[in-house]
Amino acid sequence: MNNLIEFIKNYFHHFLAAVLLVICFVLIGNSMSYNRYKIARICQSITMPIEKSWGKLIHHFSLNKENEQLLQQNLELLREQENMYLVKEDTTLTQMSETDSIHTERIRMYDYTYAHVTYSTTDKPFNYIVIDKGSKDGLERDMAVLSPVGIVGVVSDVSKNFSSIIPIPHLDTRISALVPTINQVGTVVWDGKDPGIAYLNDVPQHLEINIGDSILTSGFSTIYPKGILIGTVKEVSSEQNATFLTIKVKLATDFKNLDLVYVVKNLYRSEIDSLKANFKDE
Amino acid sequence: MNNVLSNIIRCVVALLLQIFICNYIHLFGYLTPALYLFALFLLPTDSGSGPTVLRLPAQYLIGFTMGFIVDMFTHTLGVNAAACIIMLIFRPYVINWLNGRKTVEGNDRPVPANKDFRWMFWFTLVLTLIHQTVMVMLETFTFHHFGKTLLVILGNTVLTVIVILCIDYLFYSDTKRA
Repeated sequence: MNNLIEFIKNYFHHFLAAVLLVICFVLIGNSMSYNRYKIARICQSITMPIEKSWGKLIHHFSLNKENEQLLQQNLELLREQENMYLVKEDTTLTQMSETDSIHTERIRMYDYTYAHVTYSTTDKPFNYIVIDKGSKDGLERDMAVLSPVGIVGVVSDVSKNFSSIIPIPHLDTRISALVPTINQVGTVVWDGKDPGIAYLNDVPQHLEINIGDSILTSGFSTIYPKGILIGTVKEVSSEQNATFLTIKVKLATDFKNLDLVYVVKNLYRSEIDSLKANFKDE
Repeated sequence: MNNVLSNIIRCVVALLLQIFICNYIHLFGYLTPALYLFALFLLPTDSGSGPTVLRLPAQYLIGFTMGFIVDMFTHTLGVNAAACIIMLIFRPYVINWLNGRKTVEGNDRPVPANKDFRWMFWFTLVLTLIHQTVMVMLETFTFHHFGKTLLVILGNTVLTVIVILCIDYLFYSDTKRA
């Protein structure tokens, strides 16, 4: 106890000076706005780089979750695209019947899900891709597979947890394509060489096609929705005595670095196929 | 008791002079003498009479109060108070440094009656410089135009030292009153 009193006796003035100084600085900080602003700015200039880099580091831990959320959001947006619906609106009919409901009921034509690529080849004539979703997730044969930038291929086989895909770089590929600038339908095939290059056939010689024109799916098959990007025109050459142009197409999807794919289901495929079946024999 | 009363009266007079006269002096547009410091300089030193435990805390409290009152009139709350406290923290060390090795017996108030001119000059100069440096730096709160800030510090110090030395030699050179 004596020691404590002695200690306080010896050092009391230091404590007092410290306390009074603190009061002074609090008063300065509170009363003088320029000083406060300046202090805040100096503190910020020190802490901002630290917070930024730390935030970047922390951000990595939440990237997985964020990715999943973005995927879900992407799916929602893809489902809302106009070419996903059979009937968009029918103004003349509805205006006649009811004035307040201009938008008719839209019939959903396609549904989406997403999957990750587990295995893929690009250097064979008959390439294939394996994705991590199967019949358990509702996948079936002949569903279209898209990447975020363009078309990938078609589901060929489905097991319980996995599915195999025939990608565009496959010698059996035949995709009905549309060149919107000339409104000409053709067929996209692959020649078995470069997995980034395909060919567009069936475009007649007299049509003008420019390098850089985009080539979309036509929507004539029951597999692919209409208006999905296949690629862009890279090279156009016309040979003597040939009926059709030789058009090199640079594929939009990079098959060598493919991870995320969307699987598209045509909800009315069986219905359309049953109609088509009637004509098969003729 | 008499000592305490005279100190209080001196502080009040110093404050009144500072608030009503010196704060309105802006020599060359910038320089304002901190006249009220002379009351703080003349506070009893450690070797004087009275309980030692309370002397320094009392000095700090007086310094804080005076600085605070001056701040209230200059609308710079805390600036003068902080400068006064920092100055008072240095005050015993400056006195020890100036006294050197010789021990001072009896009355050791820093007035011309007890000390020679050199002692008085350095004592006033160093403490004023500390006070003005802290005060002006806290007030401007920037290192932009540092040359100008430095000039203000030095100008204020010179002005204050002259005024305080004049007061000291006018009123406290009489040995009997010291």
